[in-house]
Amino acid sequence: MREFRAICAALGALMLAAAAFAEAETGDGGARGRQLFALCTQCHGVDGGGRREYQAPAIAGLPQWYVSGQLEMFRSGLRGQHFDDAEGMRMRPMSLALASDADLQAVSAHTASLPLVPQASTLPGNAAVGSAYYGPCIGCHGLQGEGREPLFAPPLVGQSDWYLLSAMQKYKAGARGYGLRGGDHPPALAQRAALAQGMAGFSQVLASEQAILDVIAYILSLEPSAGGGE
Amino acid sequence: MIEYWLQAASTYAGDIDFVIELVAVIVGFWFFLTVGIFFWLIFAHRVSRSPRAEYLTGDEEQPKKFITWAHMLVLVCDVFIVWAAVQVWYEVKQELPLENGGQPQVVRVISQQWAWSFVHPGADGVLDTADDIRSVDELHIEVNRLYHYELSSKDVLHSFSVPVFRLKQDAIPGRVIRGWFEATQTGSYDIQCAEICGIGHALMPARIVIETPEQHAAWLAGHSPTQLAAR
Ligand code: HEC
Ligand code: HEC
Ligand SMILES: [Cu+2]
Repeated sequence: MREFRAICAALGALMLAAAAFAEAETGDGGARGRQLFALCTQCHGVDGGGRREYQAPAIAGLPQWYVSGQLEMFRSGLRGQHFDDAEGMRMRPMSLALASDADLQAVSAHTASLPLVPQASTLPGNAAVGSAYYGPCIGCHGLQGEGREPLFAPPLVGQSDWYLLSAMQKYKAGARGYGLRGGDHPPALAQRAALAQGMAGFSQVLASEQAILDVIAYILSLEPSAGGGE
Repeated sequence: MIEYWLQAASTYAGDIDFVIELVAVIVGFWFFLTVGIFFWLIFAHRVSRSPRAEYLTGDEEQPKKFITWAHMLVLVCDVFIVWAAVQVWYEVKQELPLENGGQPQVVRVISQQWAWSFVHPGADGVLDTADDIRSVDELHIEVNRLYHYELSSKDVLHSFSVPVFRLKQDAIPGRVIRGWFEATQTGSYDIQCAEICGIGHALMPARIVIETPEQHAAWLAGHSPTQLAAR
């Protein structure tokens, strides 16, 4: 019995080691993740809290599935390759600089392991009015704006208001979530592109600039949860 | 000769190659001559033949004559290089040729960190109308047709470089720079940025797609915003 236990323990340890070796999927991306993140800090800040002067949003604390998913979309031109998306076109080459899928996962794991950086409120908006506008968003982004992985909908809490505004404007203008545009992509990516297109569709429910500002004020009033979008 | 390594696909590619080859031949001639004489002198005045060196002050003309003549000849060669270079510069950069029938097609080329965007005039051939086609990283043009481009930058210095055209033009923020090209063969070729413009400089490649009139008309029809909206 004792031997059996020892063998089980040894096997279990081996499997864990193998899993850790195969994928930097869990954990913080290790040394490689930290090393790659140095590239990102130029625009996203050393703490990953974003830098407005570069229009680079906070990425610290965003879940790994979202960061890696976005990096893949940038890389394949499903985001950041639109005439009206100057910021996205600045980000796209950075995703191309990640040489392999393993690197992409490692840097995503590292950003996900970073703590959220508090964002100051910079825009006017009425959170009470905005709470009504947030209704349609709940299905995908969650009651607390915590995000839903199966729908590829990111957490919105913890993000800066100026970036949320810019993102909504891009969806409305068709500069983000523009679909496949006839391109050929693997099914997993194509599905994400379709979900992003769905988001672009939903952006139209906010008819005015004021409605966007109000819903953003409401999102900022939500409490970031500890887990961050799991 | 350069075409052997890199295809030439514009009307002026041959002229530019000619200047480069002329410079290479003239400078190459003097280079190999100088190096040849140099090694010959080392060999001819080796220790066993002539152990003592002579020092010249340069006050007398006679011993300097070989150097003076060579200088004169080099200056004559410079005249050829300057003549050829100015001529080609004038044709390619100074002049903005017009199509025989009237205004040429104009495309807008916009550089930014780190991508190229383009505005095509659409089927009506006029910019700033509803059927303009805007694209990122892909410029579509017709073969054997004169184009003017309006080059601008949204942020820093870039340089619009199309190697097969032998075209390279800096983009300067705040300015709209006009130039021209006429493609001589169809195909899809590189566009690159030839001016260091930041961390993503190496990652802003685009393509120029040169099409036959039929292919181009089909592309215009397939991408026209007015026709797409009507569907
Ligand atoms: C040259 C500046 C720059 C660098 C370097 C850079 N980014 Fe970005 N990044 C941006 C900008 C600008 C945006 C915003 C794009 C937009 O507005 O749509 C962005 C957006 C993102 C997003 C999308 C965030 C969201 O909420 O949708 C992710 C994820 C991201 N970057 C990850 C990274 C990673 C990882 C690195 C390092 C490998 C990196 N970035 C390096 C400029 C940069
Ligand atoms: C059908 C599901 C769905 C609904 C409903 C929805 N979203 Fe989204 N949202 C998404 C998805 C998926 C993404 C990521 C898309 C992408 O890749 O660009 C997203 C992204 C966003 C982003 C960009 C976040 C970032 O970090 O870049 C914002 C802002 C946003 N949504 C706000 C809203 C608001 C406000 C509403 C309600 C009006 C809403 N969404 C409704 C699915 C949805
Ligand atoms: Cu450049």
